[in-house]
Amino acid sequence: MREAATPYALLGPALAATALLVLFPAAQTVWTSFHQLILFRPKSQPFVGLDNYVWALGDPVFWQSLTRSLLWVVASVGLQFTLGFITALLLHRRFAWRGIARALVVVPWALPSVIIGLIWTWMLDFNLGLINTLGVRLGLLDAPVAFMSQPGTALAAVILAVVWQGFPFFAVTLLAGLQGIPAELYEAASIDGAGPLSRFVHVTLPGLAGVIATALLLRMIWVANSLDLILVMTGGGPGTATQTLPLHAFLTAWSGGDFGHGSALAVLLSLLLLGVVVAYVARSKPA
Amino acid sequence: MKRLGNIAAQTAMAAILAFALLPWLWMLLSSLRPDADLTANPVRLMPTGLTLANHIELLRRTSFAENLRDSLIVATGAVTLGLALALPAAYAFSRYRFPGRGALRITFLVVNMFPVVLLILPLFLLMRRLGLIDTYFALIGGHATFTLPFAIWLLTSYVDSIPASLDEAAAIDGATLPQIVIHVILPLALPGVVAVATYLFIASWNEYLFALMLGGRDVRTVTVALQLFIGENAIQWGLLMAAGSLVALPATMLFLLAQRRLAGGLTGGAVKG
Amino acid sequence: MIARRRLLTATAALATVPLSRPHAQRKTTLRWWYHFDDPKASPADLVRDFEAANPDIKIEAENIPWGGGADYDTRLYTSLIAGNGPDAAMVKLQNLPRLLEMEALAPLDNWLDAWSGRADISDDFWRLHRAADGKRYYLPLQYVVLYLYVRQDWLAKAGLPMPQDFAGFLAAGKAMTGADRWGFGLRGGAGGHDFWGSFVLGGGAEMKKGGLNSEAGRAANRWFIDLHRTQHITPPSAPTDGFAQVINNMKAGRTAMTIHHVGSANDMQAALGDAITAVPVPRGPQGKGWTSFGDGSSAVFAASKNKEAAFKWISWLSTGENNAAFNKLSGQLPVTSSALKTWTVQPKRFIDASAASMPLANVLPSLPQTGDFTRTVWPQTTQKALLGEITPDAMMETFEKLFFA
Repeated sequence: MREAATPYALLGPALAATALLVLFPAAQTVWTSFHQLILFRPKSQPFVGLDNYVWALGDPVFWQSLTRSLLWVVASVGLQFTLGFITALLLHRRFAWRGIARALVVVPWALPSVIIGLIWTWMLDFNLGLINTLGVRLGLLDAPVAFMSQPGTALAAVILAVVWQGFPFFAVTLLAGLQGIPAELYEAASIDGAGPLSRFVHVTLPGLAGVIATALLLRMIWVANSLDLILVMTGGGPGTATQTLPLHAFLTAWSGGDFGHGSALAVLLSLLLLGVVVAYVARSKPA
Repeated sequence: MKRLGNIAAQTAMAAILAFALLPWLWMLLSSLRPDADLTANPVRLMPTGLTLANHIELLRRTSFAENLRDSLIVATGAVTLGLALALPAAYAFSRYRFPGRGALRITFLVVNMFPVVLLILPLFLLMRRLGLIDTYFALIGGHATFTLPFAIWLLTSYVDSIPASLDEAAAIDGATLPQIVIHVILPLALPGVVAVATYLFIASWNEYLFALMLGGRDVRTVTVALQLFIGENAIQWGLLMAAGSLVALPATMLFLLAQRRLAGGLTGGAVKG
Repeated sequence: MIARRRLLTATAALATVPLSRPHAQRKTTLRWWYHFDDPKASPADLVRDFEAANPDIKIEAENIPWGGGADYDTRLYTSLIAGNGPDAAMVKLQNLPRLLEMEALAPLDNWLDAWSGRADISDDFWRLHRAADGKRYYLPLQYVVLYLYVRQDWLAKAGLPMPQDFAGFLAAGKAMTGADRWGFGLRGGAGGHDFWGSFVLGGGAEMKKGGLNSEAGRAANRWFIDLHRTQHITPPSAPTDGFAQVINNMKAGRTAMTIHHVGSANDMQAALGDAITAVPVPRGPQGKGWTSFGDGSSAVFAASKNKEAAFKWISWLSTGENNAAFNKLSGQLPVTSSALKTWTVQPKRFIDASAASMPLANVLPSLPQTGDFTRTVWPQTTQKALLGEITPDAMMETFEKLFFA
């Protein structure tokens, strides 16, 4: 009896905090998504059924934002992961300045988004930016490029900034995973005559699989929901070229004052992510 | 051959480090230059002079030092509370098979999926009812809870890699559950715990919207204070750059210290089953 | 003192989770929100002087991040809805209709009628500050009016006069566009609606039903978009350039003209000296002109339990020398005639250009959509037109639909 209750007791505090601070407000947002709620008319909140959802799905901006969100998530998480993994492997090797390298690599991650947004916008600035200046002086660019003012380069710029911000996360997480792989396994593989590539495929990757899958999934959710860097760098512009789904929800709710529509967008985003998670869990069900 | 590989690896590491640090160094350099340098045309790569004026102004004439302290209190609190909540939960998920386990694991992920911007209004009303607006507790509780899914899932996968036979051996020796978690699991999972603690610290350190809404006069973190430098009609570039060059340091220092500890934790001869 | 109180709050919060914060019992405590551009500026001296004159009132001043306006508004609206709002705050005309719809504001008429300082604020301000229902909810606190910065050295070299109308402006812009400099630093990013207003609302469009999508309105807008698309007197980055970029480009000598106000005058003077001056924005072909009036106003909230004390504080801030002291901190101009007379914070030619711009001063109409327009709809739509993704006419149709559908 006592044994059966143990896991629930261990989970209790975490569940209680989550229920109070996330589930309860989230339930309220779901409720709001079925009502008309204009921020500056708080007294009138008529029930409107699925109207907010019909509006959201019928709006071309929703579908554009969704496509852009997909691109944003795949490109940023993919690049963050690749660069972070390489960094973790390099930092796992022994070399004289490893300690200092490990610490310094977290610097981009340790900066608030507002700072990151400002520094990258400034470095990419058309007139006074470091990148245009260096590019022209070194002959890499014929003329300065207005990176933030063209739809394609603006999206690339915010992705660059979020990759810069996020790759240390993967480096730290995967490095911790690498250090958890017992050295004996590598030794045993070496004795069996495995080369570096074979050791990587048969020892490193299986040893890291759990951490990689978890880190990728969680980071994907985080990036899908994050909007602060885009908000600082482009505000969704030029036009709506960098407007992702959460930014669309944010602008609708807070700038437009329309919480009914904004909440419906938030719920739709969560449902989409839920689909991804269910697919992930279904595939990786432990045997 | 091996030497060559080492040189290549170190060169690659140096290149990645340059990518990681160059924007920050550019910011640091900018904070040390006279203001006129920042809008010089054509762009000046080399400073015309170096000055600590921006840093001195920042620490003497703004509330930045106090904001740093508030951020430290909140982030440290969030790490402590977050680990205290997440470690037992991760242990339960890793070691027990119980009804509702799968559903609960998914629940923790699902809560991570809701865009925080839409939770702010109900949360504000809740915190207001609890009388917690503008207290450290509101920010610590909020930051710790919002990062819980991350912490629990990541810790679960680190704990998973520790063989259960070690717990059983300790249990046979008469260790209680808390003792097992603290004396067996914690030391072996230390690299993972350090990674998660780093994550929790940085997530809290960088969080803005929550800190803006639930903080106030008494509790104001650096992210909120930084926004004060970007006014309606003026941006305090010098101060912003000075603040930006300083604000990355605490987390970097902590990680420098933590990762030294990390090597000591790797003594276990655990073999994955 | 403050540090100690914070520490106590912290300890209490961590130890026992207090259910309410202790309030001072004997004094009336007022919570007042403000935002300054300079984080080093503190209203502590003003608060101290006021408290010395009014020992029964204590001011709790809270500096709220502006965040492009969004953060300040978000915090304000949320607090008002939660019943946790301040007693008084700095507000903008643009938010007046929304705050009125929320029934969040206390009318000031009774107090204003009895207030001796009222005559020291000119009628121009009272005209702009009157709400749609005829009552007064806002008290003028500070202001700026937008004018045109011009590189007079380059203009003289080109042998052209100061631009007074659109034709003169375009000629000057073309003449001063060169190898790597541009005639006009256009602001297509957030806040650029002020630029648009001068050329489109000043050039024939009107903010009323059918007035944006009229032939005159469309023509004016086409002319405005063409400054970038066909005349090329603006930098390629113009579609997304925001406040920082247009000001920095002007200071760096990359642009010859741009639109801003006295808030940046001292910076410009320091960077460019006598090479720069300011004039009112050019007038349209019909002789009409439009420039944006930027207000900072004070309001007392309906939910406040200390409205009378709150009015005492905000009216004290808008009185003579107090108003001058306040605006030395805010970087804007005082609203009291007495303070304006002796104002020397910025060089005289920029003050003069501000005064000469007052006859053109206007605000966007007070409609609930205005906030969304300036913050989201205007930049998104205009950027698309500047990039050629939509036509200028489609842009005006979008605006017409937002405001008057």
